[in-house]
Amino acid sequence: MKFVDDSQNLRLRLRIIQGLILVMLSALAVRLYVLQIVNGARYAEIAENQRIRLLPIPAPRGVIFDRNGHVLVDSRPIYSIILSREDTEAKKGFDRYSLIKPLSAALKIDGEILRERFDQVKNQPAFESIPIKEEAEPGDIAWVDAHQLEFPALRVEQTPQRRYPANGMLCHALGYVGEISPEQVKQQEYRDKGYKPGDIIGQDGVEAVYDGYLRGRDGYRKVIVDSRGHIQTEVERVEPQSGQDIVITIDFDLQQAAEEQLRKSPQGRGVVIAMDPNNGEILAFASAPTFDPNLFSQRITTKEGRAEYQKLLTDPDRPLLNRAIQGRYPPGSTWKPLMATAGLQQGAISIDDSNLVCGGGITIGNKFTRCMGGNHGSPDVHTAIEKSCDAYFYRLGLKMKLEGIQAMVDEFDLDKRTGIDLPHEIISTTPSRELKAKLYPSDPDWKDIDTVYSSFGQGEDVLTPIALLRAHSAIGMRGKMYVPHFLKEVRGIAAVGNDSTRSDYRPARPARVFDRIEPKDLRIPREQSDVVVKAMWSVVNEAGTATGIKLVGFDIAGKTGTAQVVSLGKEGSEHRDHSWFVSYAPAFKPEISCLALIENAGLGSRFGAPSVRAVYDVYYAKTRPAKETPANNIAMKIR
Amino acid sequence: MVAVLQRQKLRDFDWLIALLAIAIVCFGAWEIRNAQPTETFWQKQLIGLGIALVAMVAIAFSDYRRLVDLAPVLYAFGLVLLVIVLIPGIGLKINGQRCWIRLPGLLGQFQPSEFVKIPVVLMLAKYFGKHRSSILSWKEFFIGCIILGLPIVLILLEPDVGQSLTYLPLLAIVLFLSSVRMWIVGVVLASCILAAPLAYTIGVKTGLLHGYKLERINVILDPENADKRGFGYHTWQSMVTVGDGGLLGSRNSEFSQSSLKFLPEPHTDFIFAVTAETTGFIGCLLLLASYAVLLTRLITDARRSRDRTGMLVIMAIVGGLIFQIFINVGMALGFLPVIGVPLPLMSAGLSSVLATFIAIGFAISVQLRRFVN
Repeated sequence: MKFVDDSQNLRLRLRIIQGLILVMLSALAVRLYVLQIVNGARYAEIAENQRIRLLPIPAPRGVIFDRNGHVLVDSRPIYSIILSREDTEAKKGFDRYSLIKPLSAALKIDGEILRERFDQVKNQPAFESIPIKEEAEPGDIAWVDAHQLEFPALRVEQTPQRRYPANGMLCHALGYVGEISPEQVKQQEYRDKGYKPGDIIGQDGVEAVYDGYLRGRDGYRKVIVDSRGHIQTEVERVEPQSGQDIVITIDFDLQQAAEEQLRKSPQGRGVVIAMDPNNGEILAFASAPTFDPNLFSQRITTKEGRAEYQKLLTDPDRPLLNRAIQGRYPPGSTWKPLMATAGLQQGAISIDDSNLVCGGGITIGNKFTRCMGGNHGSPDVHTAIEKSCDAYFYRLGLKMKLEGIQAMVDEFDLDKRTGIDLPHEIISTTPSRELKAKLYPSDPDWKDIDTVYSSFGQGEDVLTPIALLRAHSAIGMRGKMYVPHFLKEVRGIAAVGNDSTRSDYRPARPARVFDRIEPKDLRIPREQSDVVVKAMWSVVNEAGTATGIKLVGFDIAGKTGTAQVVSLGKEGSEHRDHSWFVSYAPAFKPEISCLALIENAGLGSRFGAPSVRAVYDVYYAKTRPAKETPANNIAMKIR
Repeated sequence: MVAVLQRQKLRDFDWLIALLAIAIVCFGAWEIRNAQPTETFWQKQLIGLGIALVAMVAIAFSDYRRLVDLAPVLYAFGLVLLVIVLIPGIGLKINGQRCWIRLPGLLGQFQPSEFVKIPVVLMLAKYFGKHRSSILSWKEFFIGCIILGLPIVLILLEPDVGQSLTYLPLLAIVLFLSSVRMWIVGVVLASCILAAPLAYTIGVKTGLLHGYKLERINVILDPENADKRGFGYHTWQSMVTVGDGGLLGSRNSEFSQSSLKFLPEPHTDFIFAVTAETTGFIGCLLLLASYAVLLTRLITDARRSRDRTGMLVIMAIVGGLIFQIFINVGMALGFLPVIGVPLPLMSAGLSSVLATFIAIGFAISVQLRRFVN
């Protein structure tokens, strides 16, 4: 100390200050030690995690082909115009909203929608670009190209999008894809399959059932982002593996014919199904009215799309309903060949003695129930089917009793799901004491009159069209009853990646064909089935109820049905009878079976049968060589 | 004669302090470049160093006693600057604080509150530098408070709480070295240590402490569970950045916390976190050690001072520096609340570098004249 200071020990005070400084710096050093040495690895990991992002590269979904290699559903790249936020936000003071006016005018988009989208992305990281226009047209893309200098942040981006056939073709069988719902994500069943939020999955139809094959394995880009989400660089890239293509049993041409018939029908509502009875392959599967599955894969996220979906939900014609497996209809007279087959099997009638009285009707108690076809005298089973004699089957039903009818139902699996490879198939309702008691609590006992109604398809029994077609196909196949199905084969896909030990290696997925379930054998004696098949052949080819659709050279065997709608008595077209026709052809060596149900149209012979014929026409043209013209056949027949 | 004096001066010149300070600024400029590789802050910092060196040498070779005599004038001028900066149009508003005056040309802008510390130090040294023979009187205490209070009030009007806090240690050191009774110091320190948790508890219970003030304190008490995207963001990201450095610095130099902009204000308030990330524990220890050597050397110079005034000038500067270092690094290490106080010699900013070198110039001036009468 150079100067004299009498005040309190200055030297000590300076020492105190110096000591304090060293203590403070040491405290900082200790804290540094804790952060960097003790917990350093943890913080390094946190830092790593916040700069690394995995951006998925969506894998293309498998294509769905028809049996002849015709593309039904594919994922085509669509072009969307997007606004890259990387560029717009790099410039300070850039007002995104100033783009609304020029863009909405040039690209013909609603300015309000743009504003909504701009509002939405405010809190999202910057690598998320803003969609401006999906499904951009060539003109839009050209405009963007031409205005690159003016709007450098506009980009044209390619994204895979599921494309379904036009006019809702085959929509109920194909189903659709959509984003996995929050409820689905929570379900164990979906978790086990490795689905995660945001995944696009098959939500209905074949898309849902075979999602495991169709779905690819997404790849990803590992990128480094800054705090606002701008991508700095790509660290790693794992290529996606496409989904497997599948071939379904549908025949495009038959499908078109089937849908054409429904479109032309009086109400535009109904079902046409064609199947190969030899193996259960579905050849055509039409339910009308249809909906556009593209709504779910493309437009559901937009305001307009949601409105469209609401409209589908509230439409009284219920386009979303898959009538073939979810509609239940009284079978009417199409019930009769099944009854006849079971009657013969059970011994209620025999081939030699199958005559039962028609008498124009039957009196049960004090109530007379008439035969709709007039008085057929005392027909045999052939005539009863050919002429569709109701009273014959009243008496057959009474002979078989409810138990006999139930045995028939059980034989043809009418009280079970057919097992078709579509979700949400419902079970038909068939006659039983329990059903009667449930439906009519005031008159719960099963009576003879109930047996009568149940024996000609006008009881409380209501069937799904697919179950009815399957049963009739089994008659044509002489007792071999197959499970209807869509899948024909699944194509293989190669592995992605070279090193199978790496976690990003995607092994090859092998091709496979449909594992067909063994058919159910109904054990119908040949002579008995001959009787029923011949009768069904006569319906079309001799003096039956559907001779109008006779196709020379192609023996159609079938049965018409006219099912009364429950709310009888009301007038108006929407309460007309449902028109049925169930058939297989050629009658004695079936290749195809076909069913038509035209809702609220009227007589089966007038609407159902011609629809089926239209499908057969297409099938005939496809399968019979041109030289084998109908004229030749006629000549042979006459001889 | 003049030549002899000059030669002697060059020999007595405190090279250690000057070179250490220059080294720290150069190191700082490198870290600023790490923090903002695409910006020109680091170049500006080096230009600032050049200007600051000129100022330091000029001050060092002038007689500090003359300047202390001028203290009232400089002090008054400082207050005028602090008033001027509050006038909209002249004072530049950045982040809601009006604490910058725009300068023409390359210099950009300067922050009066950084410089006014110098006249305040000189003023305090002038008033308390007289020969002492008794303990501190109440009158002296109040006058000291007024000298300090005027600029603080003006700075709080900007409002810049962080900068105004850095004025407090100037007076505290001067009072401590002006024979304030030891037991009073003890009582004040003890009551501060006791009062803080007590005030927190009472504040939370009565609801007086609420909203963002409470949040900021809670962040410090438990940064792990604080709102890491909101109030806790700065603290949390700074801790992550520091921790990421490890022993020898982060391996990922290209994509550092600061270059990816996770760390806010990396070149100014959080330059220490950048240093920690790039050089690791070893680099940080070296930096803290450099500060320790610099401050120790300054205290040594103060002890050798020829008079009380010179001693007080240096010690007030020491107090200001250690306080800023502690607050800034403590904030970067996540145990002090986020306050906008620059790290001396490291943080980018012409005003801060210039003011610090002027202060060091005073210290050198004092020690150069220790043998002169």
